[in-house]
Amino acid sequence: MLHPLAWWIWAGSIAIGIAKASSIPLALTTVGAVAIVVVRKSEDAPWSRSFQWSLKVGIWVIGIRTLTGILIGVPSAGSTLFTIPQIPLPTWMPGIRIGGAVTAERLMATAHDGIMLAAIIALLGAAASLASPHRLLRSLPVMVYEFGVAVVIATSVLPQLVSSSARIRQAQRLRGQNNRGLSSWRRLALPLLEDALARSLDLAAAMDSRGYGFSRKRSKYRPNSWRVSEYLLCSSAVIAVVHPIMMLAAVLVALVVVPSQKISTQGVAATA
Amino acid sequence: MIVFSGVSLIYPTSTKTILEDLTFTVAEGELVLVMGSTGSGKSSLLRLVNGLVPHHTGGILAGDISVNGISTREVKPGGFAHLVGIVGQNPLNGFVTDIVEEELAFGMETLNFAPDVMRKRVEEVLDQLSLAHLRDRSIATLSGGEQQRVAIGSALVMHPKILVLDEPTSALDPIAAEEVLSIVHRLVHDLGLTVILSEHKLERVIQFADRIIHIKGDGQTLIGTPQEVLKSSDIAPPIIELGRALNLPDISLSVRDMRRVTENLRADLSKIDVPPAPIQTPTAREVVIVDKVSHSYGSAPALRDISLAIRAGEIVAIMGRNGAGKSSLLRAIAGILKVNRGGISVGGINPLELHGNERTKTIGFIPQEPSDLLYGQSVLAECRAADKDNRVNEGETFGLLEKFVPGISSKTHPRDLSEGQRLALALSVILSAKPKVLILDEPTRGLDYAAKNSLIATLREFAVKGCTTLVATHDVELVAELATRTIFIADGDVVADGPTIDVLLSSPAFAPQVAKIMSPAPWLRVKDVVAAVYTKR
Repeated sequence: MLHPLAWWIWAGSIAIGIAKASSIPLALTTVGAVAIVVVRKSEDAPWSRSFQWSLKVGIWVIGIRTLTGILIGVPSAGSTLFTIPQIPLPTWMPGIRIGGAVTAERLMATAHDGIMLAAIIALLGAAASLASPHRLLRSLPVMVYEFGVAVVIATSVLPQLVSSSARIRQAQRLRGQNNRGLSSWRRLALPLLEDALARSLDLAAAMDSRGYGFSRKRSKYRPNSWRVSEYLLCSSAVIAVVHPIMMLAAVLVALVVVPSQKISTQGVAATA
Repeated sequence: MIVFSGVSLIYPTSTKTILEDLTFTVAEGELVLVMGSTGSGKSSLLRLVNGLVPHHTGGILAGDISVNGISTREVKPGGFAHLVGIVGQNPLNGFVTDIVEEELAFGMETLNFAPDVMRKRVEEVLDQLSLAHLRDRSIATLSGGEQQRVAIGSALVMHPKILVLDEPTSALDPIAAEEVLSIVHRLVHDLGLTVILSEHKLERVIQFADRIIHIKGDGQTLIGTPQEVLKSSDIAPPIIELGRALNLPDISLSVRDMRRVTENLRADLSKIDVPPAPIQTPTAREVVIVDKVSHSYGSAPALRDISLAIRAGEIVAIMGRNGAGKSSLLRAIAGILKVNRGGISVGGINPLELHGNERTKTIGFIPQEPSDLLYGQSVLAECRAADKDNRVNEGETFGLLEKFVPGISSKTHPRDLSEGQRLALALSVILSAKPKVLILDEPTRGLDYAAKNSLIATLREFAVKGCTTLVATHDVELVAELATRTIFIADGDVVADGPTIDVLLSSPAFAPQVAKIMSPAPWLRVKDVVAAVYTKR
């Protein structure tokens, strides 16, 4: 297992590199190359699907950014593609308008912003897939470790909430209820809250009886060490910030240097 | 090791005394079983051992509990972490991290153990509980039995003197349960660990117990050897019931002992001809038809080319290991799961196309957590809502419920009901719509014998009226009592399908206790044996 911080530095540097180069073809090829790294090297943790999620979020971001770019903006020169009806605004808001002519230049500029943002989100997702945020928090210095544990617990509640809400909605649909309207939310919220409360009481009791918070000091099990491959990975990515073309080299280093983090998936099917 | 002296416990919101003047001592290396009906206070008693009650839950405690000479009054649960390992009813809720190895180390980290000690102990426990091949796995992807072993392991790394287990096998299939219990048994015998555990499925554990604490629910308790307690207790596993029915002088706890005691009886009975069980010629129409259904999650196949036909009025038990595909099959029949290939029809309609009232009149589904169905603020409100949803006369659902559990208070919040009462409420809500097909997923998890018997009676009654019932379960004793037909699924295939008696007798691991004792005679239930004895006379 690679040190989680190395992966986060690697992904962060490439994200900075993309933002600095600000070129759509480079951003797209880099995200594509990073996708290969994620597929080949990601771990088998619940977090490993974050990259797929971040891609979906990225597509939304591009869509919303483009839409707002078309609707709201300052008038700019350029070749007009089409015109949408303009909403008149009071005179004390000069320079801003809603609707009006849409120029090719403006469309390109907003799409460019959206793609840059989406690429950066995708790289964060890649980092989470390659080294789960839980592992990252574990490698924090002991001083902030307590805080890290709290964050880990808080974030693991979210997927649990999603799965229990899906379970409850399904059960109630089978009771012949439609899942629309205000009353359906009350029907979902009550069992969901109960479920979450029962879980957190169980967790608190379990942590209490395992001595959590009893000792002032705490130690760390199998602390991650920083080896040659971590240094190689980080330095290659830092160079990528300096020169954008080096980004693909950083990806190549990741593919070659890092051993696969996958473990046997035997038995995963059992719980599916 | 553990000394309870004059312990009484009462919760401020409850009018009932949980425990009254309880005094006992547990010696080192003993395995003590706590039994009692649901809601009688078994979990409370277990949580008293490390002070979770009352430090964590509240409640008024009289008397004194001392563990290894330390009183739970003076030390908080955290202070017992190195002395008492405790595993809750649902271990998944108690996991803090998401990787097996890190979970094992968590307790030691919080108590500031040195890294080399931690590493040594984790390796030791990985071997002890045969978890070594799972060390890097995410806990969420493990099976129920494996999760239970991880939970026990993370208690054992602290080298505790006492291990407390709250219903360790309730959610497990017979084979996984055996694995967990044999590990516990080994720990007691090899390491002299003191174990206190509670369990509803007594047939699985009584042979391991040195002593039993029976909580009777009204504050009274009975403590003694298994023979003493089970001689007269109102809850008893089939093996004890059989002993009582045959008027055997001594109580035997294991199949082996029981076979020894009944040797002559079995020889006598084998001489008489057993009338073959009346084969019901299935004339009823086919209600559920599953035609060459296959399904997979990602690359993992869950159902492979399954074909079935189930007739009206049949009670079908679906058995198999955890993850064999039982739930997938039931969910496909209920129309929640859209299968990759094949066709399913329920009463001539594709279940995926059923909605609203038409659905409730065709299929009733009770999920693993019956409380998922409930959202009312009181039992009565819940029943009224069901009357309206199901378009039946007002009061019909509550009438049904009163028949299942007489004397239930209509003002109680569904959450405060016992496990069995909650299942009865969910059943009444579903059954008041008079569905043609009733599907239950793992209904006996956490049910005591009384609640199980009332469930069996209810389901039988509806089957007579023509309601087809499908039950997925690990509980072989339930299957023996209830099902007319049993389908055994392994790895997505139907491995066996036939009358319950044939299927259960052909598989040693899934045979009920009575069948194991009376083998090779084809009897599954205590009353079958009694009937045979009478015909002989």
